Amino acid sequence: MIRPVPDEELMMLVRGGAGDMLGVLFDRYQVPLFSFYSKLTGDRAASEDLVQEVFVRILKYRHSYRPGTAFRPWIYKIARNAHADQARRRRPEVEFQPEMVPPSSDRDLAADIQQEALLHRALLELPEAKREVLLLSRFQGLPYSEIAELTGCQVGAVKVRIHRALQDLREIFLRLGGDNRRVAGVNHGL
Amino acid sequence: MDCDRVAKLLPDYWQDALSTADAELVRAHLRTCSACHELEVLGEGLAHLPQEQPSPALRQRFLAMLDAYEEGQGEVSRFPRRASAPVSVTGSWPWTRPSVAIGAAALLLLVAGFLAGRYFNGGEAAHSQQEIAAMQLELTNMRQLVVLSMLQQDSASERLQGVTWSVRQRQADPKILGALLHTLRYDSSVDVRLAALDALSHYSDQTQVRQGLTDALETQQSPLVQVELIDLLVEWRARGAVEQLHKIEQDPKVDPAVRNRARRAINQLG
Repeated sequence: MIRPVPDEELMMLVRGGAGDMLGVLFDRYQVPLFSFYSKLTGDRAASEDLVQEVFVRILKYRHSYRPGTAFRPWIYKIARNAHADQARRRRPEVEFQPEMVPPSSDRDLAADIQQEALLHRALLELPEAKREVLLLSRFQGLPYSEIAELTGCQVGAVKVRIHRALQDLREIFLRLGGDNRRVAGVNHGL
Repeated sequence: MDCDRVAKLLPDYWQDALSTADAELVRAHLRTCSACHELEVLGEGLAHLPQEQPSPALRQRFLAMLDAYEEGQGEVSRFPRRASAPVSVTGSWPWTRPSVAIGAAALLLLVAGFLAGRYFNGGEAAHSQQEIAAMQLELTNMRQLVVLSMLQQDSASERLQGVTWSVRQRQADPKILGALLHTLRYDSSVDVRLAALDALSHYSDQTQVRQGLTDALETQQSPLVQVELIDLLVEWRARGAVEQLHKIEQDPKVDPAVRNRARRAINQLG
């Protein structure tokens, strides 16, 4: 079996001037990055702008990529910076809209959609830093060591943040779901 | 085990980083404690939220940005205009086997990374034209190796990416064209074969490609690809394909719609 060309080798070609190889990286990362941004901001249009901004920055700062640097934490660091810069420029108040919930594919039961919608709403009510650490760890599946690297803290601190964010998410979820709804109800729906 | 301890262990529990004994204690607690069970369910729910698809416009914007970059080589714009195709230096690195190619690419990348870093960082002021040309050639060779290896991947989506990006540099590269023709003939995925055909359709002036498409008619089994191939050969006025078209038209095993298409193509080329 032939292994896929690693992101790091493609990025070295981009750094050397082969811009077309950035296209391969774009194909690999546009959906994860867009999903991350979309769930972080609740704004699809802004999320597309941010993904574009990430790839603009990669080209602009390609020389800062050093051989041996793991690509995924590197691109997520750029992604976080791009988002932070955008947030400084404008601070929109995002209201939850039903269309923020992506269409379910094979799990399109009404109850599933309702539970997913509730989880999206609860996520958007979390403070951004907590939302981000949950999305990076649980939704994107980044190892804690990578999250620690890109947020500039210790692995232990990342785990504590996840734990605290999850406790807060549970409280919000229960509040939004009403008194008679428990989180156990999302077991199959999610 | 108390709730506070379990909540703190959940992150490691999810990444299978707990000892067997601790994992079992957590599991036992989750079975009996609804509050902690809710945390686990929420964490699992987050892990299984569906990925979201951006609109096709995002890809168009990215391509436009890339065009502008390649035209300006270094000037990056967020609001680019469409630009003409770039020019590359065609290399002649002896590509043999993919595994060898990958190993060679890795080695070359290390060397070229160093060289490119020196050159593009502007750390050394005086570089001769020959040094720059040598680096460009080396970069082209590495790029070629990467594209060729992508066309050999097990995953159809990786091969599709290889096909898509192989033709960004429009100057014909015989090795890449040869690999695309091979993909067109032998790839197991119809989607990848169709993408290869689409990529090759930009090279009507290349004898290697014109002949390759005619040869591909002989082995092609998918009616979809057969029809696309025939239409392209007609568009190119490829009279050399008529003999092969006759064989298809007379072959009872071929899909009737394809045979009709071949008959019509013979008349058009005749």
